[in-house]
Amino acid sequence: MPGATTPQRSRGMRDLLPDEMERLRAVEDAFALVCRAWGYREIRTPVIEPLHLFTAAGTLSPQTLDRVYSFLDWDGWSGERVVLRPDSTIPAARLYAERLDGGRIAKLFYSQNVFRFTDDGSSREEWQCGVELIGDTGTGGDIELVLLALEALKPLKLPEMTVRLSHAGIVRAVLAAAGMSAEEQSAAYDRLLDGDLSVVDEVEARVPQLNAPLRLLFEVEGGGSGYIENLRGPLASAMPSLAPALDELATVVAALEAQGVAPVIQTVLARNFEYYSGLIVRIEAGGQRVVAGGRYDDLIGLVGGRHVPASGFALYLTPLIEQITPAARPAGERRIVVQAEGGGPALLSAVYDAAARLRASGLRVEAIEGMHSAPTHRLICREGSPKFTLVWPDGSEQFERLDDVARVLEP
Amino acid sequence: MIRVALPTGDLRKDTAALLDASGIGIEDYAAGSRALRFPMLGGDGAIARVFREKDIPVQVALGNYDIGICSLTWIEELAQRFPSHEVMRVRDLGFGAHALWLGAAGDEAEASLRIVSEYPNIADAIARRMRLRRYRVFPVWGAAEAYPPEDADVALIAAPDAAAVEAHGLRAIGCVLESSAWLIANKHSLATRDLSPVLSRLLGGGGASTSAPALRVPASLSMREAAPRPARTRLRLALPDGHAQSHTIAALKMAGVRVFEYEDGAAVRRPRIDVDGVEVKVIRPQDMPQQVAIGQFDLAVTGRDWLFDHLVQFPSSPVEEIVDLRRSIYGLAVIVKDVQADSVAGALKEWRARSDAPIRVASEYPNIADHFARERHFGRYSVIAIQGASEGFVPEDAEILIEGIDTGSSVRANKLTVLERFFESTNCVIANKQRPEGAMRATYDALVETLRRGAAEPVAAASGGA
Repeated sequence: MPGATTPQRSRGMRDLLPDEMERLRAVEDAFALVCRAWGYREIRTPVIEPLHLFTAAGTLSPQTLDRVYSFLDWDGWSGERVVLRPDSTIPAARLYAERLDGGRIAKLFYSQNVFRFTDDGSSREEWQCGVELIGDTGTGGDIELVLLALEALKPLKLPEMTVRLSHAGIVRAVLAAAGMSAEEQSAAYDRLLDGDLSVVDEVEARVPQLNAPLRLLFEVEGGGSGYIENLRGPLASAMPSLAPALDELATVVAALEAQGVAPVIQTVLARNFEYYSGLIVRIEAGGQRVVAGGRYDDLIGLVGGRHVPASGFALYLTPLIEQITPAARPAGERRIVVQAEGGGPALLSAVYDAAARLRASGLRVEAIEGMHSAPTHRLICREGSPKFTLVWPDGSEQFERLDDVARVLEP
Repeated sequence: MIRVALPTGDLRKDTAALLDASGIGIEDYAAGSRALRFPMLGGDGAIARVFREKDIPVQVALGNYDIGICSLTWIEELAQRFPSHEVMRVRDLGFGAHALWLGAAGDEAEASLRIVSEYPNIADAIARRMRLRRYRVFPVWGAAEAYPPEDADVALIAAPDAAAVEAHGLRAIGCVLESSAWLIANKHSLATRDLSPVLSRLLGGGGASTSAPALRVPASLSMREAAPRPARTRLRLALPDGHAQSHTIAALKMAGVRVFEYEDGAAVRRPRIDVDGVEVKVIRPQDMPQQVAIGQFDLAVTGRDWLFDHLVQFPSSPVEEIVDLRRSIYGLAVIVKDVQADSVAGALKEWRARSDAPIRVASEYPNIADHFARERHFGRYSVIAIQGASEGFVPEDAEILIEGIDTGSSVRANKLTVLERFFESTNCVIANKQRPEGAMRATYDALVETLRRGAAEPVAAASGGA
């Protein structure tokens, strides 16, 4: 067998050790608690989905599609490939279209992994907690998602958080005014996202009659309602197609400000531009993206359902578990390890009886000491008298009856 | 020792000329010798090994060879599936020009577009980048141009120009890759070893570009979705080309079935059969099980080896053997070299004692090789799918070769050892378990019965395949 230092993990795959799992579960539990309290219900979608779900125009970008794990399943003789899900929103949209679409609003959440090939040393498996709000919820749905995400993050006590908002309609209106096709719009958006503002010059050159200060949109990160009003004045009159997006954004921002949230407006915000049709949200903590989402009203139709508006977000668990502090053990918690002095089936059985009796008193009791046990007390069981000895760092006591041991240990 | 992978086939002549001009010519390679390994640089410091072109980028990526020469198409085919592989494109060598073209027989396509190609990874990449809503790629061993319109909507084929695509009866949609022969090198070897005795000579004469052309993705296929096809009224039979053709001709003759422009050994893709209600297409036997599984053909004559390879990949495939034609007899065997053990288990122990590196299993039957390695608990192993020139793989480039053998003369000539013969193959008729219905059923039953009667006749001289 290879030695312990020989990596046996598949490249790009990550183990989650007990401490990391504790933090991951802390995020998942906090998220699930908030989601349930807000009336959302949990779903889980299959790890394997058909590739064609993801190849529909407007779902995943070609760059992302180049990174999906696709293969022929054991019954794939027809040639249709399947994928390890590279995203959870599209499977959730598929689930809704296939199983839940009854014309009513579906409020769903999930916690599951996604797989994308990377060759930069980052993990190819990512865990996400996400929400899907499917149905005609309008701007109210957008506001709910931002507030829900913030409430789910609240118990995690993250470093300073920034809420960034955008609206896909803004860039789309500008690029469409310049006469760009959908493909050209995606390419131009990617350049903007990479900080290449020469796109703005190209747009202005294509529509010189516009005479609008487009750089206002792309060079400034705005600070809420005031910024939107600054945009609306000079831009919406020159380019009326911008007005609906700016109006929606203004409504969401005003509602959030009333709730004490101060969002930053950033016109170019998220990859997968084609995916989004309305509000785009990104929340950062400690400089890292921990939440991303938005509105994708065309998605359900693209995966075979009726045209139903939808929006959602996902929490990224990798940066979150790096940033949260593991929950400290409760002060005064007693962790007991029960051990047998000697062997024999009767004594071994007595160990488990003793452990069960003490657990019934609400104590944390182990019969086998593991590397993470860290016991505060040891209870030695024996066949002769005294039957039990309780040992702790600065003392010990002998007992004949378990009930007496429990009375001493009970908090 | 610098290891160089050289192409057999179309590029051999120009490659030999390049080696000559670079002062590292290999006389026997230039002369077309059947040998697979040649010393280079006077036998001191370098060795050349001859491969089928498609195998060369794989061998260089694996690090079995430091330097290779092959067409850009095969480098790109590997790169599209494995973008972080270890192959460095060093220089366009300026010969072996050809191209990959997309062609279609018409302007209608099924809702799930069927793309057929010997370059399935490139086909898949193009489909993704075109944002095709739904598609299937059929990887084939050959004859892709013969698939549209009945058996595919679009073919991605090697052709010099649009006229060559149209000569196959296809509409040329667009050229997706301009290809030529390229000098490639393993990145790790380049970074850590002195390859200059070979590399600098090959680069000494200058040459063409060092920047490889990218895939050109057409904006549109200019196809519309076809109305659902009416149910077929004619039975479809697939017959094999290549080595299997002569055995099939013999079996058809014994059954008294005439297939004109096939029985004389001609290479016609749609020959005429003297059975009413039946149409014939000639494709590669390797590709038949999948075509029968998806219902493109009702019957096909292939080998039991290819059926086995298909069924281990797709255990619930609806394809089955219905007539054993008892010809083209050979066995699939585990072949090794320089191994003391006389069993597969013993050989495994021997290799494991030497190293914990993956056991490399080379085979033209990658699914069978994978199945065999799993069943025999190989532990850590890798399957290297190969195209040919297989006798040269063990022991340098693979520990095990899984190969079809007949009398074993080629094995003996190459001083190889057969550890186990684990599967017997003959040619056979395969069919979909879902039999044709309606009027076609009687034609089907009659044809199967005819072939079965023919197969029951004594085989005059059972002849081997591989």
